[in-house]
Amino acid sequence: MASENTVKGIYAGVDVGSLATKSVIIRDGEITGHAIIPSGHNSEESGLTALAQALNNAGLERSDVTHIVSTGYGRITASYATKTVTEITCHAKGANYLFPNVRTIIDIGGQDCKAIRVDPDGTVADFAMNDKCAAGTGRFLEVMAGVFKVPLAQLGELALEAEAIVPMSSTCTVFVESETISLLARGEKPKNIQAGIHHSIALRIAGLFSRVGIRSDVYFSGGVAKNKGMRKALEEVLKVTIVEPVFDPQLTGALGAAVLAEGIGAKAQKRALEAVSAQ
Amino acid sequence: MTLKSVDVILKRLAERPAELAAARAAGAKVVGFQGYSLPEELIHALGLIPLRIGLGGSDRLVELGGRYISTKNCVYVRETVGLFADDTDPYINNSDIFAFDATCLQTFRTAEVVQYYFKKNVLIVGVPRNFYLEEAETYFTAELRHFVSRLEEFAGAKLSFEKLADSIALYDQIRDEILAIYEYQATARPLISWEEVFDVIQAGYVLDRRDYLGLLQALHDELAAGQGAAVIAGADDEARIFISGSVIPPGDKKLISIIDQLGGRVVGDDLWSGLIPYVEVDIKEPTIAAVAWAYLHRTPHGALPYLDLATDGRIARLKSLIGKFKANGVIYHTLRYCDPYTFKAKETKDILENIGIPLLELHTEYAGSDVEAIRTRVEAFIEMIKLKTETGVAA
Repeated sequence: MASENTVKGIYAGVDVGSLATKSVIIRDGEITGHAIIPSGHNSEESGLTALAQALNNAGLERSDVTHIVSTGYGRITASYATKTVTEITCHAKGANYLFPNVRTIIDIGGQDCKAIRVDPDGTVADFAMNDKCAAGTGRFLEVMAGVFKVPLAQLGELALEAEAIVPMSSTCTVFVESETISLLARGEKPKNIQAGIHHSIALRIAGLFSRVGIRSDVYFSGGVAKNKGMRKALEEVLKVTIVEPVFDPQLTGALGAAVLAEGIGAKAQKRALEAVSAQ
Repeated sequence: MTLKSVDVILKRLAERPAELAAARAAGAKVVGFQGYSLPEELIHALGLIPLRIGLGGSDRLVELGGRYISTKNCVYVRETVGLFADDTDPYINNSDIFAFDATCLQTFRTAEVVQYYFKKNVLIVGVPRNFYLEEAETYFTAELRHFVSRLEEFAGAKLSFEKLADSIALYDQIRDEILAIYEYQATARPLISWEEVFDVIQAGYVLDRRDYLGLLQALHDELAAGQGAAVIAGADDEARIFISGSVIPPGDKKLISIIDQLGGRVVGDDLWSGLIPYVEVDIKEPTIAAVAWAYLHRTPHGALPYLDLATDGRIARLKSLIGKFKANGVIYHTLRYCDPYTFKAKETKDILENIGIPLLELHTEYAGSDVEAIRTRVEAFIEMIKLKTETGVAA
């Protein structure tokens, strides 16, 4: 894996999300370090901590970094960053770095979900996001894991064991919680309800894609992309094959931010060379 | 730096409520109105003072209005009702009678609520759904004749050919000045921004129309002196945004502020509360029939049904204005429960995609809870436009 810019130097991306903060380090075009930590109340502190851990993972110091790009909901408070960029642009860049043939990204994060169409150069061609409720987000699954009293990481695995999919009549987090309790009381098998929950999210995502279109290859990013039940439900509902991840999909936004930081470095190096040749 | 003539307009706006109260004390009668298809010329020609009422942006007034009108109506309609319930808006309080049209059926419902709950004297102008048929002209002319006869009773005066001719000439001049001023905001180094022009247009909703014409002429002169002719031109490093969709009334600065804060530049609109009411109003003679014909042959309001997108005047107008103002992206602003615009977002997006113009749909209301989500969408949209023009974010 290498960045399209492939310039010498060390660049960092920091993605301060609602539930997790992520950081990726790129050195000479290659990923050399990364970190994921839970987001705290102070976005700047979370970003700095994740950055420090990623640098430590790469065996580097903060002073080694040429440029930092921050993204995610906490990007605004990232005084340590050279530039801030939205997570939509960063997910496109990150996915393009990993899979240049990807044209569609499904991103399900802690508090939103996005449908992103990508051009061959990794720029965003179009995008759509969920409305302002928690339906179809990581937070939604977190609440559901609480209802079933299972760890969040197991929810998708349990859904894979379903014998049937119980249709859910709502995607509202609050209503699905009460609907789930009613279904359990009626004797429905938990794994079948869990499959139904994943399918209800997939149907909601399908609604987003009706606005932006879907083209192969398809990539699934964000923390929820680690959920295999969600991945299967998306493939069934959207009738697509999602590319197998080669790097932690939760780090895609931070990776894209690092690629953009590298791009800033590339532009600076180009300007410097032009200035020298003009003399 | 604000232009001197814009400062004068804002000062006159601040003075207007007291001026209206004084005029009424001296016997003047005021008509508060709301509706795309209500010809102000007819109100003005009868010696009445027209005031275009309605504000946006206040969650408090929306909640207040929602106690009287269903919350399945858009926030603009609910806030209009909230203004009546609140009873502190100087323009509503200085109106003696209210006129609404039935272009948007939610506006018609507002009229019913205002009459029922607030016991106001209300007039309604029916608007033909099949506005493109010949019969529509007959119907709308009859509606305007009835409207004028009710206003004549209220004013105690008859509409004369001469007075209508004077009013039409005045409004034609106002429209010409607005169209000319509007072009300056889209030039390469403008002395006036789109937002300032938007404010100037909306000041005209309540200012005395003859005074307003003088103020517009002064602004036009100041722009011409400072800039010469208005030559619309873009720059490589710009995200030139065109705003389309639901009404953005006075007081609603949410979206406009976000675009500005994020480095986007609005260069055009086709909003009912912006440029579009002033485009191509061609009243050929001072008669009610000619006024009806002219208002029916403008760009139709989004609430009027028309099936064939290929010949839809609204789409044609949108495309021509995007080209004229050299916009490279459209933000399609829809208010929750403003169905006419919300339902058409996808078709509009597809049509513009075919001419290489991206469209961002934003579905919102006046609450502040979605500000950050809108900020992210707008910021990503601006990044997308700038990256496509190989500027801005490093690629």
